[in-house]
Amino acid sequence: MISLKALSKNPFKSLLIFSSITIAVMAIFLISSVSAGIIGMYSKMIKTDGDIIITQKGISDTFFSNVDISLLDKVNGIKGVSGSYAMIVGASPIGHIPIAGIYGTTKNHFSHYRLESGEYPKDGEVILGKGLSKHFVTKSINVGSKNFKISGVYNSDIGFEDGGVVMNIEDAGLLFNRSASFILVSVKEPKEIDDLVKSISLLSSDIEAKTTKSFIKEYNQFKIIENSSFVISFLAFSMGLMGIASVMSMIVNSRKEEFGIMRALGKSRFFIIKNLFFETLIMSISAYIFALILSLIILTMLPHIEMLQGYVNGTLSMQTALLVLISTLVMALLGSLIPAWIASKTDPILLINQGCS
Amino acid sequence: MIKVSNISHFYGSEQVLYDISFEVKDGEFVFLSGDSGSGKSTLLSILSTLLKPSHGELFLDNTPVGQIADIDKFRQNKIGFVFQFHYLINYLSIYENIALAALDDKKQNINALLSDLGILELSARYPNEISGGQRQRVALARALINEPKIIFADEPTGSLDSKNSKIVYELLARALKQGTTVVVASHDLKVQKYATKTVRLIDGKIQ
Repeated sequence: MISLKALSKNPFKSLLIFSSITIAVMAIFLISSVSAGIIGMYSKMIKTDGDIIITQKGISDTFFSNVDISLLDKVNGIKGVSGSYAMIVGASPIGHIPIAGIYGTTKNHFSHYRLESGEYPKDGEVILGKGLSKHFVTKSINVGSKNFKISGVYNSDIGFEDGGVVMNIEDAGLLFNRSASFILVSVKEPKEIDDLVKSISLLSSDIEAKTTKSFIKEYNQFKIIENSSFVISFLAFSMGLMGIASVMSMIVNSRKEEFGIMRALGKSRFFIIKNLFFETLIMSISAYIFALILSLIILTMLPHIEMLQGYVNGTLSMQTALLVLISTLVMALLGSLIPAWIASKTDPILLINQGCS
Repeated sequence: MIKVSNISHFYGSEQVLYDISFEVKDGEFVFLSGDSGSGKSTLLSILSTLLKPSHGELFLDNTPVGQIADIDKFRQNKIGFVFQFHYLINYLSIYENIALAALDDKKQNINALLSDLGILELSARYPNEISGGQRQRVALARALINEPKIIFADEPTGSLDSKNSKIVYELLARALKQGTTVVVASHDLKVQKYATKTVRLIDGKIQ
């Protein structure tokens, strides 16, 4: 009761705490969600259509890998393989767009891109992701130094694909000067996957075959994104939490006079700490919920912001949400209760006088 | 009832009270007088258990204050305070300010006490919505609600005009008649009129 009164009768202070916690929590949510979203999108792209991935041996990044496309026939000849396709992934300026994903693929993979209009590309043609197509009204576009006719528009739930360009692997090979970035293989029986990985590995000493699951786990780009996002999230998290603790501590210190009066009236330390505990709890939980809602709204809007070409996407996991909730509560309570505890041990008249000074 | 034994006090390295000793009997009206900076507020804070003395001992009801098991409960049960600047809590209404100090079995008396002090109509208002004189009467109601054995008042009329000052002193005198011990620190010599005992401080020493 007193906790609610204190919050409602000090709207400016309450708003200050509320805003500080909200902003700190949102920063934590957005940074960690966006990096998780980027990793999620790329993982999904690789995982969707293959069980095994073949890359160049010793090259841990699909952008730099070069695999001989002629391996496709040998792979398809292995018992237990139900299909395979090759792909080149790259990035290039497209028309006035500074950078977009380029996906060169064998024809048997075109059906992965759901056509919304037009037809799949022939040589010298491309299809555009719906997100990217909004930027162009022309019938052809420049990709790198070459001009391509736009033969259609496709739809994809994956932001990287929705903002990208798909072309024949031969055209992509000329652009990026390689045979294939990787080959994705589908298997008939999942239980045979380890044997098939071994069989494929024996086809050439220049290749490395892995299950897509383990590839994603070990993929260098993801490790870079994960590590840098961990550092940024950790900094945002620490700064946000320190901010919460500082604001709470300042607010508590500004209420020393009130605590002194309460102690003079015979209220126990426990009474003061208890009320402050509830005030902090009410404030941090409501700010957390508000930050969570705002973050979810922003994360939902991100893929639809044209300027971002669908490349920025966020995934907020339950684990992150829970971790942030616990950390927020702990830091807010530490920030408020430690100075309150110290204050409660001070002689009441000194608290009153400190509050006045 | 109150026994002050060789009390000295320092703020940092500055000594403000020097070896103070005196006694106050039950039902006395004690006037702690002295100029600004003489140490009377510090002494009143020590007497009222709001400040621990650097040296010496204070006895309340023949018990050393340091040996009182629950000093918070003791304060709530037996001591009432009136400060110069009322120190009401701004986010609580007048009624709630008094209820905050009241023991559970005394809460039923709040309205009667407010009525007695002529401020019942203010009970739903907040401290910033009433005048300085009214605030001091509320502070007095807060001090009286638990029918304490001792009331300590530090410059209770320091921020009041003469009319309101008179009201406050008359209310303190009325508490005295009901058996409450009253200790007032003030440089206002009008308090002398109500006092049964005067302790005059000069530069931290009893004159």
